[in-house]
Amino acid sequence: MRSLHRVFLTTCLLAWSVGACTAPSSTETSESSTSTTNTSEIAVTVTNTNCQPNAITVPAGKTTFVITNKSDQPLEWEILDGVKVIEERENIAPGFKQRLVADLDAGEYDMACGLRNNPKGKLTVQAAGTTEASLPSATELVGPIAAYKVYIIQEIDQLVAKNQKFTDAVITGDVEAAKKLYAPARVHWERSEPIAELFSDLDSSMDAREDDFAQKADDPNFTGYHRLEKALFKDNTTAGMKPIAEKLMADSLELQKRITDLPIEPKNMVGGAAALIEEVVATKISGEEDRYSRTDLWDFNANVEGSQKIVELLRPLVSKANPDLQTRVDSAFTEVNTTLAKYKIASGGFESYDKLSNQDRTDLKAVLTTLSEDLSTYRGTLGVD
Amino acid sequence: MTTTDKLNSGLRISPRMSRRDLLFGMAAAGGMAALTTLGYRALRTSDDTTTEKVPFFGLHQAGIVTPAPAAALIVAFDVTAKDKQDLIRLFQTLTDRIEKLTQGWTPPAADPRFPPADSGVLGMKVFPDNLTVTAGVGASLFDRRFGLESLKPNHLHLMPNYPNDQLNPDEIHGDLLLQFCSNTAETNIHALRDILKNIPDLMTVRWKIEGFLPPHTIKKLGKDTVRNFLGFKDGTANLDVADQKRMNQLVWVTPDKGEPAWAMGGSYQVVRIIRNLVERWDRTPLREQEQVIGRSKDTGAPLGMKHEHDVPNYAADPKGKTIPLDAHIRLANPRRSDLGLILRRGFNYSRGVNKAGQLDMGLLFVCFQTDLQKGFITVQERLNGEPLEEYIKPLGGGFFFALPGVKAKGDYLGRSLMEAAT
Repeated sequence: MRSLHRVFLTTCLLAWSVGACTAPSSTETSESSTSTTNTSEIAVTVTNTNCQPNAITVPAGKTTFVITNKSDQPLEWEILDGVKVIEERENIAPGFKQRLVADLDAGEYDMACGLRNNPKGKLTVQAAGTTEASLPSATELVGPIAAYKVYIIQEIDQLVAKNQKFTDAVITGDVEAAKKLYAPARVHWERSEPIAELFSDLDSSMDAREDDFAQKADDPNFTGYHRLEKALFKDNTTAGMKPIAEKLMADSLELQKRITDLPIEPKNMVGGAAALIEEVVATKISGEEDRYSRTDLWDFNANVEGSQKIVELLRPLVSKANPDLQTRVDSAFTEVNTTLAKYKIASGGFESYDKLSNQDRTDLKAVLTTLSEDLSTYRGTLGVD
Repeated sequence: MTTTDKLNSGLRISPRMSRRDLLFGMAAAGGMAALTTLGYRALRTSDDTTTEKVPFFGLHQAGIVTPAPAAALIVAFDVTAKDKQDLIRLFQTLTDRIEKLTQGWTPPAADPRFPPADSGVLGMKVFPDNLTVTAGVGASLFDRRFGLESLKPNHLHLMPNYPNDQLNPDEIHGDLLLQFCSNTAETNIHALRDILKNIPDLMTVRWKIEGFLPPHTIKKLGKDTVRNFLGFKDGTANLDVADQKRMNQLVWVTPDKGEPAWAMGGSYQVVRIIRNLVERWDRTPLREQEQVIGRSKDTGAPLGMKHEHDVPNYAADPKGKTIPLDAHIRLANPRRSDLGLILRRGFNYSRGVNKAGQLDMGLLFVCFQTDLQKGFITVQERLNGEPLEEYIKPLGGGFFFALPGVKAKGDYLGRSLMEAAT
């Protein structure tokens, strides 16, 4: 899960304790106004209760938003397509301004205006004759993107099937069976993370860790995989977990439904190869993802597989554009997989994270960091803005 | 006569000269035949300290006898290079980056679709800002991976756990140590990020700590001594870096020291993160504080004397009536011989609080010496059990060997070591 969503959530949760997350009264929302403009720079002021203006119309293409935080807490400003985050600026401190350049297709969007309970603003993007020329490699990317979409749909189908077994085991109170099903179910989540995490609400309810909540593991909003992980592997019980399991299953089905209809953006796929490895470098190598089950290496491996899938699909393009880059990336993956293979177990899956030796951890850090550096040039190499 | 006085008299520069002028003057004294009046004036026309530059090439690395600036960053690494060739590539890349960073350079304009080559922390042009980056190697580098087993400097070994130490395993040792010093924390951080981005595959960060010194005291060019977090002047009896003969005797490895030939021009470096238990210290009576240290808190003079730089006469005080026998300054430097003399280059540090809500701050102790045994280890063994231990807790650090300098273009850090490797 991406940390920026957590920032938002935590801000709101913390704010609850002082009553600042409550829905604004009707008088507070009456300041709404509409702004239509032809210039490409739009000023948006976020107060404690809304965006001003909270209805904006811009032409398709690049628009610069200048967001001023006039509320009394740090906030995140997002352009949303439904619950999908299109663009965002996080951690704008009270009294500060930030610029955000968004390249928007025609359509109706929402603007998240500070606290999650605040009414969302409306952003209308009108089709215009002057939209930027499409990217030179866009047609070449059509094939890989279509293939990636098939991969993601298959992964999510498996996620749904395995989550069904996993949550059934939790609901029937079979602790040992549920423990065995936990890591295999997550594999499909971790492989498809660049796409799955685009839905911030599901990312939060399915995959948030206790660190993301004000009251940590005891927080009533702490749900999803890691809540069940704690119950199973630390508390060794399924008591009270039925609603959590049911919610995880419902969320899985919702994710499946949304992904079926989702057009995959080139930048999400091409950038996804790097994003997955950044996930590993930031949270998997440290062993903080699955702190109770110690199944971090399953997730680690699944992130690597998800990244490698993208690299495979893009191979014809990257090896043409920059053969050296392709060679370096290939050899880095080989090195990572060789090290990971040492920890595979016969029955499938991986050893406990605790078995990872210091030397292997240090070596993996170096090779994954190098891989991150190389994969961070994929978007530039393929001209995907 | 202080370091500054000597430099000033030697170079006939006015006491109002800036630190930048002094550094430039040192470079001139060290190598250049003369400094033109024009160049000199050009340097003086601006108070912009970002252009201050410490020469990179030399027999020794910069950052050892270089006057300590306001900001330090010390980072230890695990080397992940697989073989000798990899390690050479590490040293060569490191040398190239350090030269660029310390001398200033302009990163190439970036294609906006790619991540930029430079973090931009210093703006679009990287200025020197008095930066030095000093590289040292730990005992753990001298193993089979690189064929260096027989080349380890005689005294280099892993730092032991001294009786008062409470070493955190995540904050000790390392194959490689980089000491960044400059006018600002930002310049050090920029340099670290540049190096990490350019050498992602050959080393990983093991631990890091930042330190600082008060800029107002530094500006006095050695006329005043920095106070540590115990509130005492620290470094009064330090070695005089302008005394080349003493530096060769006590700081640099020279041919008469019996060290491997590759190590000439290097120096043993000790880093210790020494937490000061400041809350408790601040609740200790002044007289007791002064007895523990052996100096007046006000003037910095040894107890019973008037001026900071007065030299204590321990022979006249055999029973420790004036300066207790176990006072810190008396144990650390009994003024009997050169045994135990080291070049200190410490900084203050401050970071976070512990679980009890007490401050984690103290001394980022750094010292250099030609012989680790006769230097730091001798001093530490004298200090073991001193009354000051009640107020300090060493938490981390390590023993390293600062490599010889990079002599000229084409040379690289560690070249003599790598060429001696089997």
